[in-house]
Formats: sequence, C-alpha cells, structure tokens
Amino acid sequence: MTLEAVKLAAEANQWVAIFPELLLACLALALLALEIVLPKKLHAYIPDVALAGLVGALGGQLVNFQSATLGKESFNGLLLHSPGGQVMRVFFLLTAMLVCILARVSLAKQKVPRIEFYHLVLIITGAMMLLAQSNHFVMFFVALETVTIGFYILVSYFRTKTASLEAGLKYLVMGALSSGLLLFGIVLLYGVAGNPTLPGHSASALHYPALGQFLVANPHNFLAGVGIVLVLVGVAFKIGAFPFQIWVPDVYQGAPTPVTAFLAVGSKAAGFAVLLVLTRDVFASYDWLVTPALTAMAAATILFGNIAALTQHNVKRLIGLSGVSHAGFLLLGVVALSGPVASVSATGAIYFYLFAYLIASFAVFGVMAHIGGADDSDQTLDHYNGLAKENPFLATILAIGLGSLAGIPPLAGFMGKFFVFIAAFEGGARWTLALAVVGVVISIYYYFGWIKAAFFEQWITPADTADPRPVRTPVDVVSGIALGCLALASIFIGFYQGPLGQWLTLK
Amino acid sequence: MANFLFYAFAFFTVATAAGVVASKNAVNAAMCLLLSLVGVAGLFVALNAYLLAFLLLLVYAGAIVALFLFIVMLLDMKETESRGFGKLSLAAIILAAGLLVTGLSTLVTRGHLDTGNPALTPALGTDIKFYAYQLFTTYLLPVQVMGFLLLIAMLGVIVLSKRWEGSDDVT
Repeated sequence: MTLEAVKLAAEANQWVAIFPELLLACLALALLALEIVLPKKLHAYIPDVALAGLVGALGGQLVNFQSATLGKESFNGLLLHSPGGQVMRVFFLLTAMLVCILARVSLAKQKVPRIEFYHLVLIITGAMMLLAQSNHFVMFFVALETVTIGFYILVSYFRTKTASLEAGLKYLVMGALSSGLLLFGIVLLYGVAGNPTLPGHSASALHYPALGQFLVANPHNFLAGVGIVLVLVGVAFKIGAFPFQIWVPDVYQGAPTPVTAFLAVGSKAAGFAVLLVLTRDVFASYDWLVTPALTAMAAATILFGNIAALTQHNVKRLIGLSGVSHAGFLLLGVVALSGPVASVSATGAIYFYLFAYLIASFAVFGVMAHIGGADDSDQTLDHYNGLAKENPFLATILAIGLGSLAGIPPLAGFMGKFFVFIAAFEGGARWTLALAVVGVVISIYYYFGWIKAAFFEQWITPADTADPRPVRTPVDVVSGIALGCLALASIFIGFYQGPLGQWLTLK
Repeated sequence: MANFLFYAFAFFTVATAAGVVASKNAVNAAMCLLLSLVGVAGLFVALNAYLLAFLLLLVYAGAIVALFLFIVMLLDMKETESRGFGKLSLAAIILAAGLLVTGLSTLVTRGHLDTGNPALTPALGTDIKFYAYQLFTTYLLPVQVMGFLLLIAMLGVIVLSKRWEGSDDVT
C-alpha cells in the first residue's frame, strides 16, 4: 500500500456522515464525566441530560433527514447511507428516548447504579444506528457485538434479583451461540467468495455489493448456501423467530422492564433492518433458498408466538411471546419482498409496522413500569385487576396500546398489519397470509384478557397470603406526557399516515 | 527441510492435543493446550504467516489459556474420576467419528482439495504493515467502535460485580 492509497483511504472516512452516532457517543462519555465532576446532589439530573441530548439528536436527525450523504457510501464502503437507514436512525433515537423515560420510573424502585444504565443505552443506540447502515460484514459484526454485549449487561442489571441474573446468563449463552453461528456463516461466505477459481470472486468479499455480485455469478454454490443459512439463523436469533425463540420468555421476564422494552423493540428492529438489507440486496440471487426458509419461519413464528402466549399469566412472558408473533408478521413482510414477485410496498410496510409496534409497545411497557413493584419479574395479569378504577389514565393507555398490538381498527397497529398483509398478497405468499390472519384472531384473545383484567375485574387480596396490593406508581409529568403522546399517536397514525405513509414507496 | 518441519510441528500439535484430552489434571490439560497452540503457530510460520503465528501465541496461548488457568485455580478443581460415557455423549462420539472418517476418506479418494494454484493466490498475513494500514485507514470506524465495546464491557464488569450495598453512589 503506497502512501497515496493510504491518504485516499483516510479521506474516505467522512465523520460528518455519522454525526448523530458521534453525538450519542460523546453524550455517553459526557454522562460518565459529569458523574465524576458534579457534586452528589446534582447526580439526579444526569439522566435528564441524556434525555435532552436524545431529544436534540432526534430533532437534528428529522431536520437533516435528506442529508448530503444520502445514497452514498462512506468509510471505504463500510457504511451506506440509504433512506431506510435514515428511517431506522429516527426509529432507534425514538426508542432510546422512550427507554430512558421508562428507566426513570423503573430504576427509582431499585437500589442500582443509575448513570451507567443511560450510558449503556446511548452506546447501544449508536451501535444499532451503525448496524442499520452497515454495508460490510466487518462493520456489521462489530456493531452487532457492541449491541449484544451492551444487552448482556442491561439484562442482568438488577443483579440482586435472581430472575435478572438468570436472564442475563441465558441471554449470554444464547447470544454467544448465535454470534458464533453468524460468524461461521460470514466466514464461509468470505472464503467462498474469495476463491480465485470461481467466477465473480472478490478480494473484498465482505463488502455487500461485491458479495452480491459474486452470488449473482454463482447462483447455486453449496458452501455459499450454507453460509447464507447460517447468517440468517444468526439474525433469526436476534429477532426471536421460531425455532430460535427459546430464550425469549425467560429473558424478557427477568430483564428490567425498560430493558425488556429495548430488547423487544430496538433489538428486534435492528435485526429486521439488517434482514431487509441482506435479503433484498445481498442474497437476492439466492431467493430459491431464502424465500422458502423465511416463509416457513414466518408461518411457524406467527403460530408459535400466538399459541404460546395464550397460556401465559405473567405479563412479561406474555408480551415476550406476543413479540415473537409480531416478529412473524414482520417476517411475512420480508418474505413478500424476497419472493419471485417482489412486492413494491413491502419495505415501506415493514418500516410502518415497526413504528406502529414501537408506539404501541412502549405504551404497554410504560404502564408495566408503573405497575411493577420492587421485584420486576413477577407481574401477573391479576396485578392489573381494578386498574381502571384506581388509575383511569394508565388503564386507558394500556387499552389503546394493547388494542394497537392486537390490530384493532382504527389504531396504528391495524394499519401496520393491513399494509404488511397487502404486501404479502402482492408477493404471492397466500398460504402464510391465511395463517397470519388466524394468528391475529388468536392474539385478540390474550390481549383482551389483559384489557378485561384492567377494566372488569376487582382486586381481591388473597386470604391465605399477605400479598400486598399491587404497586401503582403515580405518573409524573414527563412519563405522563410521553405515555399520552404514544396513545394519541397510536390513534392518529391509524387515521392519517402522513409522511409515514410516504415511506411506503421507499426503496 | 520444509517437509520435515511440517511433520515435526504437526506431530507435536496432535500429540499435545491428545494430551489435553487424556490428562486428568485440569492444569496439565491447559498446559498441553498451550503447547498444542505453539505447534499450530509453528505451522503458520512454515506457511510464512508470521503475523497469524504471533497473534495465535499472544492471544490464544498468552491470554486465553492463562484465563483458563485462572478459572481452574479459582474453582480449585481436583483430579476427577472419569465417569464413563452416557448415551448422548456416545451418540456424539459416533457422529464425530463418522464425520472424521467421511472427511478423511474424501480427501484420500479425491486426492486433492479444490483450490486454485497457490502461486497465484496473493500472500496475505505476511506483512504486518499491511494490517496496520488497513486498520487505521479502511477499518478505522470498526476499530473506534471496538473501543466503545471494550469500554462498556469494562463498565459492565464494574456494575455487575462491585458491592453496591452501603455505597452512597446508589440511592
């Protein structure tokens, strides 16, 4: 490598292009610095700094949505700034903001260190944003590992609670396994695509466009097929698709509620952002392999998630398993995209579904954060009995959030499912679509069981145990505004999609 | 000469690897693993892959085996009686042996691996300068992200293992 080439490569590192991620990284470091510098009595305000920074970053991202680097590669092809990447940046910033708001409520009930939690959330968010824009398997893997390792810590954050530690250990084992499979797949692809005897081979085979060209030139290579399947398996672990969902109920139950929300929404969305890029662009010439695999996975995921959630009494397990079924609906959208007749609206439908899911999920998780007591993992449906009488505000938010998750018109969740189903119809996945409709019907049963507990049941203290009345933390101004906005957004987006609707035509 | 070196290192690697499995004492097994890795590093040197050889010595032999030894000493493991094989491990052994036999017989019958002319393949992993340039130009962003990864890993260890009880950092 000559000095000239080094200079060129160094100039390709356009740091301006990842300004939002840099902002998050600096903010995260600033939180740690503030903890050292500020006197103890001011430490309570540090989480507000994180929240304010996130609001600022989100505003900046929205203003600068049509940035100058849009559609271009940066960092020598490690990143590609696509419109989809911009949408996911907004998504992750919004997620992080809401996680911080939930954390204010949840962490107040525990004796745990505070600042480090927000630091981790910010770093993970930055890594997720890079992950959604990665255009190279090295960047992809490094960003993914940063996200995963951050989650190992966050899941076991309430380390004095057995459930949280157990969840952390389980997530560590399953996460390491899935990372191993993913890496194995990446290395196989790299090895095959670097083989000089094959047509279309490339020296930089980890670069998505180069790999895509190689796969087009060798549409039936066995080893490449194995590599693709292993990569898909690794991603399926992250999104919790059947049969790689076994970790979901235990980890979702044991993790602190804000972390459960972060996992359910952020981690899943990151997995889908990656899956979209991989199936649509890189693995497109292997649709003979990818489409049947994903179709089977989508059908099994929808059925398993909904049927398993039916019998759950613990709300965190219930929301976890219902999250599995949502992953199935989203997979249906991905199938519509990778099928022989690619649906034009599928990409936009997936983004819309993700946003509708974000808004509805955080409304429900927000209520859960207020109901949870000192032990975060033992919330059952019974704890919601009589909620409507004691706290009508929380009960209304809960009903709207659950209604949207169930897909009741005219809420946003209904429109999300509607768009995905249209895309699946266009894409020709008729049988999976029929199964998905059955899944929706099943899901209404358990979502409404929860609503029924909140509105129609009475809290009766069990005679044999000294079970205290369930906790109802008073709603403070910030979380009140956030929850109210989420509920209103669920209703509003159901009627009028506005710019969100324009994303339907995104490529 | 090159052939002799290859056979010497290969024999050394396999013999010490067998030592890892056969040794009843966990410390001895870890030491055998270390020697086995040294043998593999020797094989890499014979292939002119100096950087890979040194990384193997530094990272695996140096750091990871040392970590194994730490854990072994932390758990204070005694020599254990071998417990025989359960049904599941027996099935796994048969499966692994079958795969090995299939692989070896394929190699014997086909006679060569399906690779290109080695002379045409660019020699990677010989030049440490190349790696350094790549790390600090092309892959600068992942290196920076790795920095943050290490930071949160360190932070995680502190958060999850420090005694917070009675500390006024926690309210």
